[in-house]
Amino acid sequence: MSKALTDTVIEPPKSDAGQFLDVRHASKAYGAVRALDDVSFDLRRGEIHGLCGHNGAGKSTLVKILTGLVNPDSGEIVMEGESLQLRNPLQAQSHGIAIVDQELSLAPDLSVEENLFLGNIGLPFLRVPKALRRRSLALLSRIGLDVDPRTPVERLSIGERQLVEIARLVGRDARVLILDEPTATLSESEIERVFAVAREVVRDGRSAIYVSHRLDEVLELCDRVTVLRDGRLASTRSSADIGHRQELIKMMIGEELPAPQRSGAAKVAAGSGAAIEGLTVPPSVTTGFDLEVRGGQIVGLTGQIGSGTSAVLRALAGLEPDARGSLVLDGEPVRLGSPIEVLRAGVAFASNDRKAEGLFLQKSVESNLVATRLPALSRLGILRRRQVRSTAAQLAEFVKIDNERLGATVEHFSGGNQQKVFLGRCLDRRDVKLLILDEPTRGVDVSGRAEIHQLIRQAALAGVAVVFASTELDEILDLADIVVTMFAGRIVAERTREETNAELIFADMTMSHETRAREQRPAAGSASEEAPDG
Amino acid sequence: MASTDVAAPQAGAIAPRNSRDTAIRVAVWGAVSILAVLVILGAATTSGFLTTTNVRAILSSVAFVGMIAVATSLIMVSGNLFSLSLGATAAITAMAFLALLSHGIVLAVVVTILLGVAIGALQGIVVGSIGANPIIVTIGAVSLQQGIALWASGGATIVPPKGDTSYAWLDSHIFTVPVPVYVLFGTVIVLDQVLRRTRFGRQLMLIGENLTAARAAGMPTTLVITGAFALAGLCTAIGGLELGAFNQSGSLLVEGTLTYDAIAAAVVGGVAITGGRGSVWQALGGAITIAMISDILLLRGYSEGVQILVKGVIVLVVVILMRLNRMRVET
Repeated sequence: MSKALTDTVIEPPKSDAGQFLDVRHASKAYGAVRALDDVSFDLRRGEIHGLCGHNGAGKSTLVKILTGLVNPDSGEIVMEGESLQLRNPLQAQSHGIAIVDQELSLAPDLSVEENLFLGNIGLPFLRVPKALRRRSLALLSRIGLDVDPRTPVERLSIGERQLVEIARLVGRDARVLILDEPTATLSESEIERVFAVAREVVRDGRSAIYVSHRLDEVLELCDRVTVLRDGRLASTRSSADIGHRQELIKMMIGEELPAPQRSGAAKVAAGSGAAIEGLTVPPSVTTGFDLEVRGGQIVGLTGQIGSGTSAVLRALAGLEPDARGSLVLDGEPVRLGSPIEVLRAGVAFASNDRKAEGLFLQKSVESNLVATRLPALSRLGILRRRQVRSTAAQLAEFVKIDNERLGATVEHFSGGNQQKVFLGRCLDRRDVKLLILDEPTRGVDVSGRAEIHQLIRQAALAGVAVVFASTELDEILDLADIVVTMFAGRIVAERTREETNAELIFADMTMSHETRAREQRPAAGSASEEAPDG
Repeated sequence: MASTDVAAPQAGAIAPRNSRDTAIRVAVWGAVSILAVLVILGAATTSGFLTTTNVRAILSSVAFVGMIAVATSLIMVSGNLFSLSLGATAAITAMAFLALLSHGIVLAVVVTILLGVAIGALQGIVVGSIGANPIIVTIGAVSLQQGIALWASGGATIVPPKGDTSYAWLDSHIFTVPVPVYVLFGTVIVLDQVLRRTRFGRQLMLIGENLTAARAAGMPTTLVITGAFALAGLCTAIGGLELGAFNQSGSLLVEGTLTYDAIAAAVVGGVAITGGRGSVWQALGGAITIAMISDILLLRGYSEGVQILVKGVIVLVVVILMRLNRMRVET
């Protein structure tokens, strides 16, 4: 692992293209739940191997076994004919198995180059800044990331951080790279970069395991795909053989999903809704955001990471103290900058980070469901227990969480169920006029996603104005009545669902202002402001 | 770190089981039962432990530190670690109470309590509104309070007016148990209800667990944290005026090791130092546990040094066990 890093750390591909890493009959149970049941899985040298399945199918457990976080109850891991004991992450790393986690493990205050060599792995005892810089640049250029190595990581976009993380693992000479839902937070163009890097990385004879819910991406990127279902191996097939996502979905759930229901032109209540004008959100790049959402409408905001959609939503939720601009809700102006006032005015917000900014993980489902409406559930400061309980039960039923789980802490819930608890708190409030959702189905599996979309549609049908942001085109197309695309902090297109499609949106969100200006110049020579890129 | 893979419907209720998990369970329950056995054995075999006089003595010794421990637990559950200034507040309120006695007992009690509330609330505002580090803020508050107390008293020890017995009831006994013990249990009962049944209490626990989420959920975080510190100031002021009455003199010396003893009690009681979990009963339980152990050691003739050493061991063991248990839950 501490092998000196040079610009060419590439191991020559060994001759055999056969089995490289072999998981044999692995089982793991948590209490009565068999998280993994006799699963065998083989990884070939130089292959990108997709790992698919619902939440609860066993993907994470398999990954945890490979990375030494979890010890299997039975089964064996064999690498190049040698049986491995992976008792802890360090042992896994020493065998070259490394994971690019969903939750990145970079130190945000340190610079890119310091992060690349965090722990001084592969460096001489005394630091030679020039050598460090040179190696950093070499690594960064290998993965095609054009940033100054001295930039603090916290100034990078999430996509860029992911690339830094990959570069770091490549620098440490990882032989098996596990990409766990790496694109969940990335924009389409950043995904392309990650893919290109993944392809580049396996060309050296490394292998990659790609864990994702995004099926089209899996098929596009992977050579073979292993599907797990309910902890068991469903099948391993080549991507070419599977062919289409519908087929992959069939493998995952054993049945076809119903076609997405469109909310269509719901009762759009005239006069009700939200009008946003001139919203500018320092320190983000977001400027001059105007939008009108009527009650009953669902507006989808999309754009690459860093395009400013999150900043817009956070400002509307009162979480950006420096935000300027106006929000008028059902004719009443709302002061931005205070979550308390915004909430009181009828705005409900679900952050894209449900763990840090949403849920109270160690508290019960009930506590979480009623967290935003405690004032309404108390009289003279004293909670009315019966109302608390009935309200929570009602919300749980609404989001389809088993009533018996009201007392359970949400900590151990799956991502999908956590998200349902989180949304439950924002939905079905008689006083909600504007519902703001940032990445409403991040890290949620296919069926959970369908349920959550249904909940959002129901809210719109009840007359709530909905604004959500998503970097997933599928989600935008499934859910939005109006699609607003942003680029570098500005709206670049606003189209109704009927007049747009994936290609148009993709074009909108990837076209830089420069390109746009260039294309417009011959026609009108319109003045296009310069916007910082990225 | 939710294990997204254990998403079967009943997963929330099922505890994961593996070797490390088992080891931690054994360690935690083993240590707890060893402690329990030791205390019970000690209690049963130490002559003079199971006498009403001794039980009374233990309760009396808890009366003051218990109030401060309860105050500490309020700050702990709010997610703001602990206050290092509660001992100073106890001292300054003891002095203020005795100095104010010449204006009548009612005024003295009311003003002293208001003083405690104000001292707590001011620190709470600083911590709650701008997220200042509670340790640093309360360290500052110690010097501020001590400075003001010394300045105002001119360095003199405050004594009650000669012949004044209006405060004697604070140090009297009802059914042979000192009044401060009743006050302590009364405070714990009331505060426990406040934490469990009121909007403030519920919000305090949520803010303590996840401040960012609480803010995003539109909770009045500054107000609630200020409230927690103000309540802590209130408890401390009550403890302070009782101490003043008990000692019949007030100076900065009153403080002693109160602050740290109170933190130790809350920790031993199992109040989570990271916030969001714990109750005032636990703080009281911790205080009583420590007092019982000290008492056993005292009766058995161990020196004060040993008593203090054992207290330190208990605090460390509890902290380690709580952390291990938390690690188990998180995996």
